Amino acid sequence: MNKPLLSVRDLRIDLNTRLGVLHAVRGISFDVAAGETLCIVGESGCGKSMTSLALMDLLPRVASRSAQGITFDGQDLTRRRIAGKLRGRRMAMIFQEPMTALNPAFTIGDQMVEAYLYHVGGTRAKAVDRAVQMLEKVGIGSARSRLGQYPHQLSGGLRQRVMIAMALMTDPELLIADEPTTALDVTIQAQILRLLKDLQQELGLAIILITHDLGLVSRIADRIVVMYAGAIVEEGTAAEIFDRPAHPYTRALIDCIPQPGKTERGAPLGTIPGVVPSLIGRQDGCAFRDRCALAGPRCANDIPTQAAGSHRWVCIHGGRA
Amino acid sequence: MIAMTTNPPSRTAKTLRKMLHHPSLVVGVAIVAAMILVAIFAPLLAPHDPYVQDISRRAVPPVWYEKGTWENILGTDQLGRDYLSRLIYGARVSLLIGFSVVLISGIIGTTLGLLAGYFGGRVDTLVTFIVTVRLAMPVILVALAVVALFGGSMWVVITVLGLLKWDRFAVVVRSTTQQIRALDYIASARSAGASTFWILLREVLPNIAPQLIVIATIEVASAILMEAALSFLGLGVQPPLPSWGLMISEAKSYMFFSFWLIAIPGTALATLVFAINLAGDGLRDMITPERS
Amino acid sequence: MLIFILKRLGLALIVALTVSVIAFALLRASGDIATALAGEGATPESIAVIRETYGLDRPLIVQYFAWLWDVTRGDFGQSFFFRTDVAGLIIGKIGNTLILGGASLAIALALSIPLGVLAAIYSGSMIDRAVTLFSLMGQALPSFFLGLVLIMIFAIRLRWFPASGADSWKNFVLPAVTLGYYITPPFMRLVRAGMIDALNTDYVRTARAKGLPARRVVFKHALRNALVPVVGLVAVQLGLLMGGSVVVESIFALDGLGYLAYQSISYRDFPVLQAVVLLLSLAYVVLTLLSDIINAWLDPRLRAA
Repeated sequence: MNKPLLSVRDLRIDLNTRLGVLHAVRGISFDVAAGETLCIVGESGCGKSMTSLALMDLLPRVASRSAQGITFDGQDLTRRRIAGKLRGRRMAMIFQEPMTALNPAFTIGDQMVEAYLYHVGGTRAKAVDRAVQMLEKVGIGSARSRLGQYPHQLSGGLRQRVMIAMALMTDPELLIADEPTTALDVTIQAQILRLLKDLQQELGLAIILITHDLGLVSRIADRIVVMYAGAIVEEGTAAEIFDRPAHPYTRALIDCIPQPGKTERGAPLGTIPGVVPSLIGRQDGCAFRDRCALAGPRCANDIPTQAAGSHRWVCIHGGRA
Repeated sequence: MIAMTTNPPSRTAKTLRKMLHHPSLVVGVAIVAAMILVAIFAPLLAPHDPYVQDISRRAVPPVWYEKGTWENILGTDQLGRDYLSRLIYGARVSLLIGFSVVLISGIIGTTLGLLAGYFGGRVDTLVTFIVTVRLAMPVILVALAVVALFGGSMWVVITVLGLLKWDRFAVVVRSTTQQIRALDYIASARSAGASTFWILLREVLPNIAPQLIVIATIEVASAILMEAALSFLGLGVQPPLPSWGLMISEAKSYMFFSFWLIAIPGTALATLVFAINLAGDGLRDMITPERS
Repeated sequence: MLIFILKRLGLALIVALTVSVIAFALLRASGDIATALAGEGATPESIAVIRETYGLDRPLIVQYFAWLWDVTRGDFGQSFFFRTDVAGLIIGKIGNTLILGGASLAIALALSIPLGVLAAIYSGSMIDRAVTLFSLMGQALPSFFLGLVLIMIFAIRLRWFPASGADSWKNFVLPAVTLGYYITPPFMRLVRAGMIDALNTDYVRTARAKGLPARRVVFKHALRNALVPVVGLVAVQLGLLMGGSVVVESIFALDGLGYLAYQSISYRDFPVLQAVVLLLSLAYVVLTLLSDIINAWLDPRLRAA
């Protein structure tokens, strides 16, 4: 196999809270290959957003990150300098709320050419041309006149497209998308997803898509990582995960996938009884055992990782279909 | 799992413990409390009568100077009055004026704010207009003019400042009331048939109280400074009352030779106002929810 | 937009007029002006003459509207004390006050913006606390005390700057510092709060994600949005500035509008006082309108309103 584009080894993220140290991410490892779409799935609070921020070195001050290694194309991302050079240039990120992610005081055009001029240089005219090109690529018509508009003049779906276009200005190799469609209507969601998939094929872009919606994942993922309570519980190709889900949590998630026409947007993923355990202090054994139908006394000890090829899961019960 | 204590602490105990986390609040309150005590017990603490003049002991420097004596620890002013005593009694003037002004302006401003915020519509428009008119007025000039016209005395100063400085109360109470009014428990109180007065008193007022207290502390400091400025300009409290602002004004011409005559009351003023602002800041930090 | 401005101007006028009515009533309420003007030991006849000369025997409402009518034609009356045309008096002295105000504002902004940004970036740390403490001290120091101290140190001991007068730019340094220091704290707090909010926004996170250097994120993206309320505060602070200038001009014997106002109060010079009050209240409402317009220009979202 080729060397992965992005490689994460034993990433840990701790948050200093008044009640103690919160272990938001408890030692996760994964790879992303060039041109592939990796989806990180999990419910809110599982640590997936923190992970994406950690990759870009955008964690808030109260968070501390440690890892055995985070490399992008061989370069060490844990070094602030290197991360700074790559951020916005070869690694780009888009966020959940397009309504607030753009600066209201500047035009779309201004914000799009800004990063391009900083990272790549050149004349403003060239940058503007590229901006027009990018806007057209994401399917926005009358692109040149759009450049002079302000964010508040655009709808949510349009803004998210602009965000994507803006992210692609510097021709990055990796795009991290943190819940990019959660705040949008269902129909727009589908459009954005298809757009991402098209762009990936056209540009050879690697995408990390963070979401809580397994239904979305089924449409565009090449590989999937399932996170729960700060740790990876299962990972594998899309086929492996959907055809032979091994971890009870994954299985429960799949059972909860909303059926179009029956479930409302934004509703929690079905009913998995119980709540996510507190992440403050030490965690022993399987974090899911309080909510798992298969839980037994052995689940309170360290759980070994089982594997079948590229399909891995952290459960002593999994593997049975 | 966090163990539960058997006796949950009372609300006062919790508030007190919370206060300890804000050192500025503690320091500020401590200094202000000290000054209030000094003011209350002035007759016991002051070594001399602040009004008694003794020309033979004019402009004696404080005890740490060469010519100073322990008889007058902070020296004497240009009329031979003991400065420490005047300083102590001056605290009374500042504090009394500060709190009285805030009492008056607080009542006026809060009433206006409640009416505007709760009733909205034309009442709100009227009150907003009144507030704008008040804001457009040059307050110091009006205060100076009133004192000049009606004579200077502590009560005139208190009245005119109280009738002028209610705007901050009105504005904040109005916006807070508007927010509270939109909440559900007001609607349920209304549908239960409670009278407006009752609602304002029992539902709205207690919820705006924390912010009211913060504004009040700031306004006390502001009133104290304003009285000092008025007295400094000769149009505030009249001699021989030992207002700190007045003391600075009286000592202006002797500044070069007897700098302590200005420095001492000036520092006292600054310290008191600083302590009040510190406490107010600390209070505000305590009641606003912290950012995550 | 035009209608908006016109409506606001109309409101401004009404507010200013209301203030002038209040001032008028207040001044007249203090007692018989004619007696005050006539001075000690004046005979009833001379008092009557004065009353007639100044039209003080007419009903109050008539007096007010007569004054108003004159004002619309640019005639602000004669100063009782200076015995010259009030308008001319004000025009002569307003320059100094404007210079003082401008310089003080400049000093205040030059201090508060960097400090506010610093405190916001390092929010919660010792730097933040030090800056906040500094601003609290600024608010606690009475302006007249600071002025006297500055005179003591810089004018008398060091002889760097003059203690009084308004001849050269040197005369304005100490007064501007005194006044500027006094109005810095509210600005600093506003900048700090605005910056803290701005630094926590999603669009600043986007800017960081684009890999822009920290300085550009802070100054281009965050500060721009944080400064919007500062503009509004400038208008409000002008009122504070006016009050402060009365004191500061008196201490430094700076012959400006504030000092003129103070004198007019001491000497019961009502025409001057009326004119100054009208001028200041008009200035305040116009300035608030101006700041609203600037706000709309700075924040495109407000333009739709």
